[in-house]
Amino acid sequence: MTALLLDRVTKDFGEKRAVDDLSFAVRDGELFGFLGGNGAGKTTSLRMVLDIIRPTAGRIEILGRAPGRENSADLGFLPEERGLYRTMTALDTITYFGQLKGMTRNDARAQGRILLDRFGLGDSAGTKIEKLSKGMAQKVQLATAVVNSPKLLVLDEPFSGLDPVNQALLEDEMRRLSRQGSTIVFSTHVMQHAERLCHRLLLLADGRKAFEGTQDEARATLPARLTLVARETPAPLPGVASASRLGECDGWTEWDVRLDPGGDPGDLLQACTERGFALRRFEQGRASLHDVFIHIVGAEEGRA
Amino acid sequence: MSNPILLVAAREFRQIAATRSFWITLLIVPFALAIGPVASHLMQKSHTENLMLIDPSGQAAPAIQERIELEHERQTLQSLSRYSESHDLDHADPKAPWAQHDHYYSDFEVKTFAASGGVKHAQAEMRRVAAPDTPPFDEPDPDYKIVPTPPAIAASSPAQLARTLPGLINPPRKDRGAEPLNYAVYVPADFATGRSPVQIWSDGAVPGQLMGVLQDTLTRAMRLRFLEAQGVRPEMADAAQRIAPLITVNRPSPGKGHEQVIIRSILPLLVSYLLFMSLMLSGSWMLQGTVEERSNKLIETVLACISPDELMYGKLIGTVAVGLTMVAIWVFAAIGAAFATQGMIADVLRPALAPLAQPSVALAMIYYFLAGYVMVSMIFLTIGAMSDSFRDAQAYLGPVMLVIAMPFAIIAQAVIRDPMSLGVRIMSWIPIYTPFTMLSRLGAGVPLWEVIGCGITLGLFIAVEVVFLGRVFRASLLGSGSRPTLAQIGRLMRARGSA
Repeated sequence: MTALLLDRVTKDFGEKRAVDDLSFAVRDGELFGFLGGNGAGKTTSLRMVLDIIRPTAGRIEILGRAPGRENSADLGFLPEERGLYRTMTALDTITYFGQLKGMTRNDARAQGRILLDRFGLGDSAGTKIEKLSKGMAQKVQLATAVVNSPKLLVLDEPFSGLDPVNQALLEDEMRRLSRQGSTIVFSTHVMQHAERLCHRLLLLADGRKAFEGTQDEARATLPARLTLVARETPAPLPGVASASRLGECDGWTEWDVRLDPGGDPGDLLQACTERGFALRRFEQGRASLHDVFIHIVGAEEGRA
Repeated sequence: MSNPILLVAAREFRQIAATRSFWITLLIVPFALAIGPVASHLMQKSHTENLMLIDPSGQAAPAIQERIELEHERQTLQSLSRYSESHDLDHADPKAPWAQHDHYYSDFEVKTFAASGGVKHAQAEMRRVAAPDTPPFDEPDPDYKIVPTPPAIAASSPAQLARTLPGLINPPRKDRGAEPLNYAVYVPADFATGRSPVQIWSDGAVPGQLMGVLQDTLTRAMRLRFLEAQGVRPEMADAAQRIAPLITVNRPSPGKGHEQVIIRSILPLLVSYLLFMSLMLSGSWMLQGTVEERSNKLIETVLACISPDELMYGKLIGTVAVGLTMVAIWVFAAIGAAFATQGMIADVLRPALAPLAQPSVALAMIYYFLAGYVMVSMIFLTIGAMSDSFRDAQAYLGPVMLVIAMPFAIIAQAVIRDPMSLGVRIMSWIPIYTPFTMLSRLGAGVPLWEVIGCGITLGLFIAVEVVFLGRVFRASLLGSGSRPTLAQIGRLMRARGSA
């Protein structure tokens, strides 16, 4: 089942087109990364999903329904710009947002206590938000987003402003919810988090979709890169786009090899074997999402 | 309670109720009511002024003193007459002068009243028939008290008096005694010849009443001498002095006429004032809350759960609830004070509550109160949604408050003068002034068609206001950056779709 569907969605703010003909689908239980640079249209897209703003054109489906407040019982949302009522206590804050999402007061309070305990804030349940540290307040904010055990959790730049300890806590919470069956969509421009968490991802550039797929599929968009240690240059071998000398040692030379787009390193290894091409090392490099992002988004923004 | 509007309203209420300023404001009225009578008693100052008579001949001063006492007795008799009429005590002695309310008491009547025991006797008569809860008669203070003339001053020449008396009338601060001297009157022995003037020293304008007493008393003495000099027998000359017209006075009984308009307008005016006070306070608290939501980046989290309309209506209801709670507590405190005290407050409150005896007036008052609250709260709410800080909000609040608050004092005064005047009636039809004006007027009686017409106009205005300002509210919630200009606000009002 599809948890979230955007079909040819466009959003204009006056003359400015923030989101342009965007289509993608997030399947049930997926941890879906929504990647893009600043101003790419991530927050606007997520606000449309939550019905905070309406699209200019296109169709959105959430858990099989149109966007609207009737979905709030199944939704969790952590905005990029965070804030809480300063004079409310941590537990009251979580309870209030739980009730706004349709929970009973008792259920919201009980779940709030469980979350505060899990986040190490059990002793601060009755403390006003203004008395909490920034990190503690951010945990409370996360608790308000997940208090209703949402079927679909939307996180807008969830790691921004968090220290490494809280980043790890958030990653753990996201994995836990994912294991429990929640679908999670999160936006970020920090690729390491996406690399660790995403099942699938979407790259957004200037409001347009630049890529949608798995991490492997994303990496496959980059030419394969190998490090070879050989006696001769691998440049003449079939499928090699370029070979640069990195250094020499005991008569062997280390080469940085790039394959033609779509080239398979296995084919190159097979060609080496068939031709008696002496190899001392054959190491396949793994492109990072950062490289993929620069490659795809950079090219898209260059075209724009 | 799972209705999001009520949840927002309850949170709004709790947030405001948790502030110190709310409790200070809430308790300040009961506190003022509690200490008011005590403070008033402590600060009560006698209006009696001190008068020194310098009379070398020794003939004028007794006549002036007698006349001043006579005037005080007349004033007392008039007050007693009013008191008797107010509390329906005339039947205690229907022939007594205080049971006659239709004429100006002659000197003879006043003297007879004083000779027959004065106030004490009259009160004893009244007590026989008075209801147990009838408050006691509060005798008015005399206007003037004759103070003894020091021998040194009594023996002074006019030239010496001119040097000495100004210092006694207006002494340096350190020399001021417990009993200041307000007036000194010098009556020369030959005043009747018209050669030497009667002189008055005063620190300011001499009251007409005192001038009248002096003029009348001294003129009588001069006329008497003149008539006697003309050969008129003394008893005839004296009788001529007593000739006076009978003056009847036609005025409404206590609590009627203009007095009735004022008394019946007290409660509506008070309600109008309470509306204004509580609106300004609860509105500014709500505004602070809305500004906080915007500046703390809370809005997005809230809007992911509920719609902007639910947020708007919740805030409105919360604010109205805060205002009504304040007003309810103030009213209960006032009623408590009225029951706990006797006399003036209770006397005024009973007739002041009379308009509420008519269900239509009571309903109209509730409607105009609530409608006024919603109308102005909506303005506060929109200002809050457009402002990133309280300073931003002040820029909008200033002119808005000027437009709403400035005419308030004028309306109250105009209603007291004439609740049916053209100006007041016109103000009743201008929606932003309708609640205050109509609440102020309702006690004095407003034609039903006007009550209904103004009410419908106000209701329509609020509906339009909620639609247009609601658009600004929704569009401004997620906005940031500089404050919208008037032109931008106009565009937001016309834009149908939000965001």
